[in-house]
Formats: sequence, C-alpha cells, structure tokens
Amino acid sequence: MHIAEGFLPPAHAIAWGVASAPFVVHGVRSLTREVKEHPESTLLLGASGAFTFVLSALKIPSVTGSCSHPTGTGLGAILFRPPIMAVLGTITLLFQALLLAHGGLTTLGANVFSMAIVGPWAGYAVYRLLKRYDVPLMVAVFFGAFVADLSTYCVTSVQLALAFPDPSSGFVGALGKFGGIFAVTQIPLAVSEGLLTVVVMRLLVQSSKGELTRLGVLLQGGKKADEGGKKDTDAKKCTDTEKDTDTKSETGASA
Amino acid sequence: MLPIDAAAHSSRWRRRHPVDKAVLGLGLTVLAVCLPPWPGAALVLLTALTVLLGPAGVPPRKLWRAYRVPLGFCVTGALTLIVQLGGPEGFVTLADGGPARAGGLLLRTSAASLGVLLFAFTTPMSDLLPRLVKAGVPAPVVDVALVMYRMSFLLLDSMSRIRQAQAARLGHTTRAATWRSLGGLGATAFVRAFDRATRLQAGLAGRGYDGTLRVLVPEARISRSFVAASAALLTGLAALTLVLERLLR
Repeated sequence: MHIAEGFLPPAHAIAWGVASAPFVVHGVRSLTREVKEHPESTLLLGASGAFTFVLSALKIPSVTGSCSHPTGTGLGAILFRPPIMAVLGTITLLFQALLLAHGGLTTLGANVFSMAIVGPWAGYAVYRLLKRYDVPLMVAVFFGAFVADLSTYCVTSVQLALAFPDPSSGFVGALGKFGGIFAVTQIPLAVSEGLLTVVVMRLLVQSSKGELTRLGVLLQGGKKADEGGKKDTDAKKCTDTEKDTDTKSETGASA
Repeated sequence: MLPIDAAAHSSRWRRRHPVDKAVLGLGLTVLAVCLPPWPGAALVLLTALTVLLGPAGVPPRKLWRAYRVPLGFCVTGALTLIVQLGGPEGFVTLADGGPARAGGLLLRTSAASLGVLLFAFTTPMSDLLPRLVKAGVPAPVVDVALVMYRMSFLLLDSMSRIRQAQAARLGHTTRAATWRSLGGLGATAFVRAFDRATRLQAGLAGRGYDGTLRVLVPEARISRSFVAASAALLTGLAALTLVLERLLR
C-alpha cells in the first residue's frame, strides 16, 4: 500500500523527500561505481529491478482470505543489499506511480523512505543478525522478509499520523487509527510474504546457485555465506563477490 | 504492455515533448496540492478531467480503471479523519470538522492524481527515460531504469503464461498448491530475469557494448506556445481560486 498522490501536505512531502535523498544518493553512487567497474552489471541490475517490479505485482493469499501484493523489499535487500535496493526501489516506485497509478510523484519521497529505505534496511538487519547467530538460512530469510514488510507499513502509518494528527488524542491517536487500518491488517500479509519469500529462496537455492553465489547469498560450492564464513577459514579468499558483499554491508551500516 | 503505457503510445499527444506535458500535468498536480482544496482542488479536478477527456483524448473507461486505484486508498485514508479517538464523549466519536477535512483531502488527492494521470496517459516511458539524462539523472541509473522497463514487460508476460500453465495443471486448487505455485512463479521470474540479462550481455558484447545503452528517441521539440498556454492556464486557475475563496467566505 503506497501513499497516494497528493495525500500528504506539501511540507510533509518535501520533508520526506529530503529525508530519503541521502540514502538514494548513496545508492546511486554505489550503483554508478559498480557500473563503471563492471559495465555488464547494468543488465544484471536492470534484471534485478525488473524482478523487484514484477514481484510486487504477484498476488499473495492473505490469512484473512483476501489477496494482497508483496513489497518484495525483504527478498530484494537479501539478494541485492539495501543501498542498491534504495535505487531499484525508487525506480520501481516511479514506475508504479506512472504505469500503475500506485503511489504518486509528490509522495514519492515518503514512499521511498518507507519502502525502499526503512523496509530493506530493517529486513536486512534482522537477516544479518539471525545469520550471525547461526540461525538456519530459511528462518533468517522468513524473519527478514516479515520485518521488511511490517516495518514498511508501520513507517507508512507513522507518516500518515504525522500528517493527520487526531483532533483529540494527537499523534498517538492518529497512529492508532492508521496503524489499525494499515499496519495491524498487514501482520497476516507480512507472514504471507515471509512464507512466500522462503518458498522462492528454497527454489532459488536449488535452481540458481550460480547467481546466488555471485550475489553473495551463498559461498562457492553452495554453502550458506555466513555459515561458511565461520566454518571455513578460507572463506575470506573465497570469492570477489563475497568480499564485495562485505564491503557493501559495512558501507551500508555506516550510512 | 501495461494499460496506461499502451494508451500513452497511442495518445494524441504522443509526439509532443515530455516537457510540454510535464508542465501541464505535473503543474496541475502541484496546484492541487498547494491550493486550498475548496475551491482550488475542485477547479483543478474539473480542468484536468476536461483536458484528459477532451484535447488529450484519453478513453473514459481506461481512465476510470486507472483512477479507481488511487481513489480506493484516498477513501480509506479519508475515512480515518471523520472519527477521533478518546475524548469525553467516548473512545471513538465523530471528529469536529472531520467530514470537511476528509472531503478536502479527497478533493486534493483526486485532483492531484488526475494531474499525474494526464502526464502518464500521454507520455510513454520510452520517451521519458532517455531524456532524464539531460535533467541531471546519472546515465548509469537511466540505463538500469531502461533495462528494468523493457525487461518488466517480458517478465510480466512470462509470468502470465506460467500462471496459466499452473492453473491448467490444477496448481491453484488447494491453499498448499497455491503457495507452491506462487513460490515457483517468483523463483522462475528471478531465473528468467538473470538468464535474459546474461543473454542480452552476450549479444551486446558482440556488438561492441561499452556500458552505455544507446537508444533511438523520437524527435520532438518543446512547444513554446503549448508551454505558454499551460502556464497561463495554471496561473488563471490559481488566480480564480484566490478570487473565489474570498467571495465564498
């Protein structure tokens, strides 16, 4: 669920745009550097973005019986890392605004902040944290996708509550209202997205080990990246991709 | 191809420069957001609707199909403004001035959405994206966006066919089967996207690919008269709003 065109007052729309800008600029710099060093990455990044766009068009069954769309931010962050997802997410949101009339241009900054920044970073942080404690890959993937989805909608609720505080109970009351409508109803959907992401990841581990290794999700030979890093002392010199991944995650953490 | 983009390719204003249409469409959106909802956004809504169905020639049915999506969000969001939580009269009560605020918000979002739809229904992405480099967007980002745009349609088409095949094999009959099918659909999209990217890379490498995607952009010039007329219309709308607002007080 994106915030629709014109829904936010001008000052809020500008403020969220300003808040999103550093993350997007950081992502654009990472992407530009990557493309300059490896020109062929343009096509793979384009493919990744197209995958994210298409994933958000999948209809998933909700526990309540209705249907909804996954945000795709959790899977995207795990596969492509949050800085890249900030750019791919921004382009995806622009496409959704102009091609599907989902979201909007004046609310692009707010939507980018919730869906392309907070969602991917929160989901990726949980994923990395669980991996650090040797939690199985699929459990980490589930919670990464779950948190990414839920945090996206919680931030959307906060954005709406800040823009439209309740006349009687102020920001807290408005957060309860918008949270009740958007975030709480999203819990079953976040569970659904977590489950779907696990199913997708299981199939990818079976069918696309090469791509997952290139993206740093798996080590060479199909081992799970963080497990391998602990068990195998040669993990550091395993692949250039893995080194690149670590650098990216460190850069991302400092941002 | 997605319905809005397909309509943009066959639009009457297809050959106009994107800047012409951005001044008018996005200008209307900015006015809708900045002017007071009554009567400002109402005037913008009427103007945008007139331009969309009149000079721009957008089919009403296609417009409604695209327009009902943001309207659904606006109505849901506006409903929350009608009630308030807490207070002496009860936990959930009608808010003072709530319906007026909700009505104003509905007017503003409806008008702003129509402004963007005016731009989207007349400007294909393939005309817009390559020109973003001149607007200061880094070329690698534009290239990635171009690949995304072109690959999205292929992937959507593939997924539609896979979904049909899954349905024909009773892949959606039970909840468990539906989950398996959906997982397969997502994973296949990933595999196909990367497979296409690899093949595209191989094909481009054979043609001397240096990291820059050069595409033909239909020639178009910015029409000074169109931009001037749009600016005059926007100024007139703003002035009329201010005058009417004083009269209606």
